[in-house]
Amino acid sequence: MTLSQSLLDRLASAAVAEGLADAVYTRLPTPIGTLTVVQGPRGVVRVGFEREPVDALLAEVAAGLGPRIVASDRELAATRAALEAYFEGTDETLELPVDFSLVRSAFRRDALEELRHVGAGQVVTYGELARRIDHPRAARAIGTACATNPVPIVVPCHRVLPGSGGVGNYGGGPEIKRRLLAHEGALPA
Amino acid sequence: MRTIVLPPFWSLVEAHGDELLVHARRLAGDAHGEDVVQEALLRALRAYPRLRHADHLRAWLYRITTTTAMDHHRRRAREVLTDDPPAAAAEPDHYDDAFEELIAGLPDTAQAALRLRFVDDLDYAGVAHALGISPEAARQRVSTAIRALRAQGVAA
Repeated sequence: MTLSQSLLDRLASAAVAEGLADAVYTRLPTPIGTLTVVQGPRGVVRVGFEREPVDALLAEVAAGLGPRIVASDRELAATRAALEAYFEGTDETLELPVDFSLVRSAFRRDALEELRHVGAGQVVTYGELARRIDHPRAARAIGTACATNPVPIVVPCHRVLPGSGGVGNYGGGPEIKRRLLAHEGALPA
Repeated sequence: MRTIVLPPFWSLVEAHGDELLVHARRLAGDAHGEDVVQEALLRALRAYPRLRHADHLRAWLYRITTTTAMDHHRRRAREVLTDDPPAAAAEPDHYDDAFEELIAGLPDTAQAALRLRFVDDLDYAGVAHALGISPEAARQRVSTAIRALRAQGVAA
């Protein structure tokens, strides 16, 4: 005897309608693996790659936003649609509200906010992004901000490249970074 | 102030949802089990941030499910009185009906203790967790309830 999906859907929707959910998550299959997408009341708060264990990821969100976390594809339909449109190439803007609650410093938050202005098809170097937020010598700190970005893909840290060439590091692994850049037609030669 | 770490609520639903459904169906009947579980989990979610510790979360969920099933019984009892007695009374539940009939005259707290002990087959520690009382109090509550049944001439 198991709980039916429809019961789980009804429960999650009732929780959201009553304002009881600190966050809602969904699992979304994509060409780069199944993503875990977590959304709080203010926006997308965490995106996890397939290689990140869901339990640990949700525990991280619970520590930041609260433990009332529910799962619902239905409640996150708009977010799923935006990500699906991105991966299908029909709309790569990913204009989703983002919640930076899990970002640990104002500097990193500034860097990630600025990064949102780098659209699909564009790339920027760590040094250039540092200049844009008026910390021209902080390229390494920008690297850390990207490495700890809780909302990859939506906040496009894959578009930040080392000045020395190559694609550099990526939370999801360099291969996924290359695939995202290739998908956007921005893979450096 | 002590910071407590509660697990993400949905991990509890995934870990215990199925057994709570079994529990709810035993207490409220197969036809009402899903409604009871849904309402119980919603109640649990409302109370979740106010928990003062993260121990015994499974027993806590059982307790809420038990209470919700009892409320459900009461609601249905009222409906039987006011709406459509023959249809509701003729509803083909299962063998638990006999048990429910047996304990119907006891106070709610005694009924809950008996269901946990004999329907859910919990030991006294389990009954105690589910009711939020000490194991000794659980043992006492069950034995008092059994004495009451004996006095009614329904238990050996």
